[in-house]
Amino acid sequence: MISKPLLRSLIIWAIFIIGMLLLPKIFALLGFSKGNLRTLIQACYLAIFAMSWDFISGRTGYISFGHPFLVGIGAYTTAILSYRFDVPVMYSIPIAVIVTMIGGTLFFLPALRIKGSYFALVTLAFMELMYQLVQVIRPDLTGGTRGISGIETLTRGAVNGYYLAVSLMLVIAFVLWAILKTRIGTALSAIAMNEESVKGSGLSTTKLKLFAFMVSACVAGIGGAFLAHYNGSIAPRALFDINFLFTIIVAALIGGSSTIIGPMIGAFFLTLLLEKLRPWLPGAERYFVYGGIALLLYMYQPKGLYAIFWQVVDRFRTRRGGQS
Amino acid sequence: MTFRTNLFAGAVALATSAIMATTSFADTVKVGFIGSLSSDTGLSTLRGAEIAIEELNAAGGVLGGKTIELVSADTGEDPTEGIKAYEYLAESEEVDFIISGSIDDVSLGWLPRMVEYQIPTLDTWTSYIGIIDNLVTDYDNYKPYFMNIASDEALATLYIDFGKDVLVDQMGWKSVVILQEDTAFGGAIHGLVAEALAPVAGIEVVDTIVYDVATVDFAPIFSNAQASGADFIYLISSVNSQVVSSQYVKLQVPMGMTGVNVAALGQEYWEDTGGAGGGISTLSPVPSVGFALDPVSQAFVDTYQAKYTSRPKFPHFNGFNAYHGLKQAFAAAEEAGGFNNTSWVDAMLGQDLVLKKDGEMWLRYAFWKPGEIEERTQRTYPHNARFDITAPYDDGAPSMVVIQWNEDGSAGVVYPDKFKTQDFGIPSWVKK
Repeated sequence: MISKPLLRSLIIWAIFIIGMLLLPKIFALLGFSKGNLRTLIQACYLAIFAMSWDFISGRTGYISFGHPFLVGIGAYTTAILSYRFDVPVMYSIPIAVIVTMIGGTLFFLPALRIKGSYFALVTLAFMELMYQLVQVIRPDLTGGTRGISGIETLTRGAVNGYYLAVSLMLVIAFVLWAILKTRIGTALSAIAMNEESVKGSGLSTTKLKLFAFMVSACVAGIGGAFLAHYNGSIAPRALFDINFLFTIIVAALIGGSSTIIGPMIGAFFLTLLLEKLRPWLPGAERYFVYGGIALLLYMYQPKGLYAIFWQVVDRFRTRRGGQS
Repeated sequence: MTFRTNLFAGAVALATSAIMATTSFADTVKVGFIGSLSSDTGLSTLRGAEIAIEELNAAGGVLGGKTIELVSADTGEDPTEGIKAYEYLAESEEVDFIISGSIDDVSLGWLPRMVEYQIPTLDTWTSYIGIIDNLVTDYDNYKPYFMNIASDEALATLYIDFGKDVLVDQMGWKSVVILQEDTAFGGAIHGLVAEALAPVAGIEVVDTIVYDVATVDFAPIFSNAQASGADFIYLISSVNSQVVSSQYVKLQVPMGMTGVNVAALGQEYWEDTGGAGGGISTLSPVPSVGFALDPVSQAFVDTYQAKYTSRPKFPHFNGFNAYHGLKQAFAAAEEAGGFNNTSWVDAMLGQDLVLKKDGEMWLRYAFWKPGEIEERTQRTYPHNARFDITAPYDDGAPSMVVIQWNEDGSAGVVYPDKFKTQDFGIPSWVKK
């Protein structure tokens, strides 16, 4: 028997999924250009990375500053396999995800001993190390400083690209939501609150953290691999870059950390904001406005847009309750 | 007038302006600019394109009197932003032609989008031979792409000649210490120097010193360079090059120094170094600072300097490429009846602008055709600028020149001989 709150959640999920899948039709009816869909595709991939980051950092409290390291492993592995060795994409992507998960275990090792800002700095070092390595080690494979261009793309056209990206995002979001609904999800959240208490209750925090890191790496690997095959190109500066890291973190925080919908809202809000500002502010001024809005939102409600949405809903309900 | 009358008048005015906007839209050809809007590099291409567009519009428009409209998309010199920018130009703005002032990895980032949209695109800054190789191996997909700067392979071939003719034969230098900034650009140029220039020219690389781009004190680095016992320093610097250059002068480092110094490519170099930039030399695509200009290019510079007062005060080489290249793209469109793929590509390949100075070929804006073999390297360069890397340079512009700044703030070309305006020299404080 499905409980009422669960049923309500499932209905909301169904409406959300249908709404997202119908978006290209709605855009076509409204006469919007396909450029809007392209923006949404980039937002979908950012949402995947933000959800991946949030699964470690939002849930367990281990703030990762090296997430592009995981995304980059996924992207580079599939790109090298398919572009250099003609491995079919149907194999190169799963291999890339497995390799990323192995990278995730490397990422996990420091978490056994350190936490807080030390952990963040060590993960940042992972990203920087990878940035240097892909340029120096076997540039004939990685493309060195310039990266690789002409990687096989899985789709052509904005509509197909959108359906692929949004399907990936929705499946990942639903699976993560389902995991978090289990006792494992509750235990992961408890780690962020008090890791010692979780240990005291007889649970293995090492196993729980390893699980969180593996899931996060898996999601990052999937996102990175599919992004490489969407863009058709990869470059070290695009992946192992501090700006990319901040974009991921800001999306998760502005949308609402420790939720599933929050990082998605944040990714869509920030990507659309930047692209919609482009016709009026084509230069770097866009980033001042972007940064200003992000800062104001964060100052107003540190729990993000998701929390603001519920504040508005609650106020509306209270007002309606008062009127009746 | 009543409120209703006002409302009616307003509605009529709105409808009229909407109709006029639609009409003007139909009479417009859209050109997209992709590149950085905050770098001298990007601005040079943008401004070159702006001037060409103004001139074409002033001459009665293009393609039967249509007005050209320029739309800019900033890349911030970031590969991912470059992809978004190309998508924006293609799908939101639906441009007919794209002119690019992108750097290497940014161009490589959006290149798959060009293949998908098949929009005629002209690159004015990146010189990466790998892009031309794409045309060699997959011509049908890449054929809307043109690059009107000599590819880096052609640039390197002539640069190696400079190493042999000037650094070894003229200066007698046999060993070098490389000062390389820790960037992607630094790594790429280091490969060129250590693996091509030095071995072919017979120069021994005794040491490579890699420095961080945030370095502000170069005294210990120059001390190490001196201690290496090398004959000269080869500097590779694209970020804050004015800092290392001015310290070389202020510290009066007793060794000659040449190399690739991006700051020295701009007219602002002297200002940026506080007047301490003499003796620095760098390779540069043409036309460069100190390069004697033909009358057509000089007229472009005059217009540029009258129109823009902010930096870059003198267009970089890609500004010239954008100016001439955009005009050629529209001349091709006139022949082909628009920017439709195949016929425009053929017409663009037929463009040939020879700029003469004192009766002889000085610069040439033309393209290598598919299958056409360049004599010296014995390979093809489809859709690449038609460069010439063999003296007397009567088939095209040289792929590069070497320029040198003097201690009085002037600059001149030191290599190759045909374009030379002064001799290569060492600063006054360096003993011969």
